[in-house]
Amino acid sequence: MEIEVTQREQVTIVAIVGSVDGLTAGALVQSFREQVHGGNVRIVGDWSGVEYTSSAGLRALLETVKETRQRGGDLRLAAVQPDVLRVLELAGFTGILKLFPDIETAVGSFRS
Amino acid sequence: MKAEFHGEARLENLESVREFVASACHRAGADSSFCFDLKSAVDEACTNIILHGYGGREAGSIDVCFEEDAERMVVTITDRGRPFSPGEIRAPDLSSSWRERPAGGLGWHLIRKMVDEIEYLADGEKGNRLILVKRRGSPGRL
Repeated sequence: MEIEVTQREQVTIVAIVGSVDGLTAGALVQSFREQVHGGNVRIVGDWSGVEYTSSAGLRALLETVKETRQRGGDLRLAAVQPDVLRVLELAGFTGILKLFPDIETAVGSFRS
Repeated sequence: MKAEFHGEARLENLESVREFVASACHRAGADSSFCFDLKSAVDEACTNIILHGYGGREAGSIDVCFEEDAERMVVTITDRGRPFSPGEIRAPDLSSSWRERPAGGLGWHLIRKMVDEIEYLADGEKGNRLILVKRRGSPGRL
């Protein structure tokens, strides 16, 4: 799994490529925490390159949603692939997370 | 068709286990969403064994056996870690808000959703066996 962090406008984009599982989720949690603790609480997760996620990845998302929202921000996901979307649906996460078809729309959602 | 995977119970081996299950499942003629579900269920089960069954001990073995026939695909996972009681794991409340949503229990919840039958046999000598059954024609999508 690879993580790339970039800034666009006032939004932090965390792009993931690969699989988020019990081995790799720790690095994702760490990356999200660094952003939140550095004051970057408006985060878009670019999920276009995520081919698999287990419950370990879901826990990383849930923790970050809580941490960002408690600080007035949010974690929103862009371009979630069908198989991963199914995991989010089965876990009831589509009722919690805000999902967008692409990065542009996700970043733009923080303007309104 | 029968296929077997033998390895150490380490998180580093999860990707190999997923590839083993997905490959066997595809060779058995299932579509990609069916195979995704089966590999996800096996991944969640193996993660639990590694973290909780063997947690705090030296890594033991994990054996994954894939079998199929005209009606179903069966994956049997055998380990020699601490046994547990799957029936006692409570399902998370998916209607709760993000503030109250618990982080635990999601793995077993996904296993229950992604396969049709689950059987668990705890045996200190022969090893604990978790048997996951997914019937052909089982819906791959909601």
